[in-house]
Amino acid sequence: MSDAERPGDAEPHAHHDHEDGVEGPGYATPQAAVEDAEREQTAYVMGLYVGTDVDAPDFLAVVDVDPDSDTYGEVVERLEMPNRGDELHHFGWNACSSSCHVDGLERQHLVIPGQRSSRIHVVDTQERRDPEFETVIEPEEVYEHDLSAPHTVHCIPDGEILISMLGDADGDLPGGFLELDDDFEVEGRWDPPGEIEMNYDFWYQPRRNVMVSTEWAAPKTYYPGFDLEDVEAGNYGQRLHFWDWEAGVVDRTIDLGEEGLIPLEARFLHTPESTHGYVGAALSSNIIHFHEDDGEYHAEPVIEFDDREHPDWDMPVPALPTDILVSMDDRYLFGSNWLHGEVWMYDVSDPSNPRRADSISIGGYFGDIREVQGRELVAGPQMLQLSLDGERLYWTTSLFSSWDDQFFPEEGEKGSVMCKADVNPRKGTMTLDEDFLVDFGEMPHGPARAHEIRWPDGDCTSDVWQ
Amino acid sequence: MSGDGDPDGAGEHRVELAWRDGREEMVAVGADETVLEAAEAAGVALPFGCRTGACATCTARLLSGDLVHRRPPRALKDRHRERGYVLTCIAAPMTDCRLDVGADVADDLVSNPWK
Repeated sequence: MSDAERPGDAEPHAHHDHEDGVEGPGYATPQAAVEDAEREQTAYVMGLYVGTDVDAPDFLAVVDVDPDSDTYGEVVERLEMPNRGDELHHFGWNACSSSCHVDGLERQHLVIPGQRSSRIHVVDTQERRDPEFETVIEPEEVYEHDLSAPHTVHCIPDGEILISMLGDADGDLPGGFLELDDDFEVEGRWDPPGEIEMNYDFWYQPRRNVMVSTEWAAPKTYYPGFDLEDVEAGNYGQRLHFWDWEAGVVDRTIDLGEEGLIPLEARFLHTPESTHGYVGAALSSNIIHFHEDDGEYHAEPVIEFDDREHPDWDMPVPALPTDILVSMDDRYLFGSNWLHGEVWMYDVSDPSNPRRADSISIGGYFGDIREVQGRELVAGPQMLQLSLDGERLYWTTSLFSSWDDQFFPEEGEKGSVMCKADVNPRKGTMTLDEDFLVDFGEMPHGPARAHEIRWPDGDCTSDVWQ
Repeated sequence: MSGDGDPDGAGEHRVELAWRDGREEMVAVGADETVLEAAEAAGVALPFGCRTGACATCTARLLSGDLVHRRPPRALKDRHRERGYVLTCIAAPMTDCRLDVGADVADDLVSNPWK
């Protein structure tokens, strides 16, 4: 049964005023999300044991982020996956504001892929703090379409779900996209095979009939860890693909060259009319701005982070900006420099000319803040999430199990943390909230890594407007 | 040494699993089993991820004996295979074997390139 057909919930998810009176999921506009959203009380966070000797599956962590609660800052529920070895990474909703016009559709199901296992879990969050499995798509069903390594999940209009797939069934290239129907069954491959080679993240802007996709590498290349030989051999990505969203084919590919090595997270501005957006080129430590001009997309670096000398390193340390996000009001771009140990916010009210607003130096190899509440920080800030009102920024510290082991080996031994900063969007400032800390080192089966964060009522990295 | 090809060492083989913290286990691996499958059947937890030979989460190092990979071990580069690294998810023993196992074995495959 699709969520659009589901009878009324006992504990309904948030519905908000829609001008046309339709009760779909999400918010009528980005500004409506800012105005109408209640403060987040629950966070969903990916927790991981893959690649350690802990004999337990990865899990969906339910984190209490309600400051009035007795269990504030604690993992209050863990939904263990049915198998070990998944590497939970990114995840997404069955519906967002892009389906605002679909009466009865609910933002109720989390689609949670295993990056290594190619298994796709669908979890029902009707009871927000007691999620349960709806269904599981086994790897064999995915391999049938000559795809593997599921990454980004976006709902697309009318209840369907699109997932970027980084490899073929052998973990080699080309990757592509897998489409699920509104009953969470595999519909098939969305793109013509071979339309792209490498894949990673994507975002679509339907009113502009465009989708952008980025490039990591073949799964067999990045799974075991980062090998500089693979960069020299051209096995890592450096291209952006701009798709004709309706036709499902690539219109234009931009080769970013050395300025755009390993382009990861892709974020359009939320304003549905905008053609502007950003991509973090992690290895080059550049933030790429893209936009349409004269009917064609263009891309160039607008923020460049310099390498820094470290006494224990033979070579300068790159910043490695591994995650970025755009505030719901499109006023700020936030990002994390995982190796350097910095979270930052840039004013992007002039999208082509970002202006540094503020940053916090924490964790990583250069962060000034080395511990929170007495807990040593053993990695830099990585996966970000922002409250819908733009006033609270949260982050976790794990990148990817095998890459953590290379660059922050203590992350696997001690587990990740989830931190929070209070943001003043009028003043363009951010301050670490030292009263908040979620310690994934204190889990029942042992220290766990923590990756992506989502809110039940939508967030700055999943909502798209039709 | 390890190699690719169809296993012809039919029958059951004894595989010693040695962790770097000193722990050891012995599992009997049947003719149609991989090392990982036999360990799971015996209730011995080894790390794994894709189970197809693409991700290297299950990397072990062959200390003695002979085994074959049932599919190409795509996650391993030539330099890894030359040094005896194998993937337990697709590895079938041809003789009795001894393997260096545990999550930290996979960390041998790559190092921090800038440090």
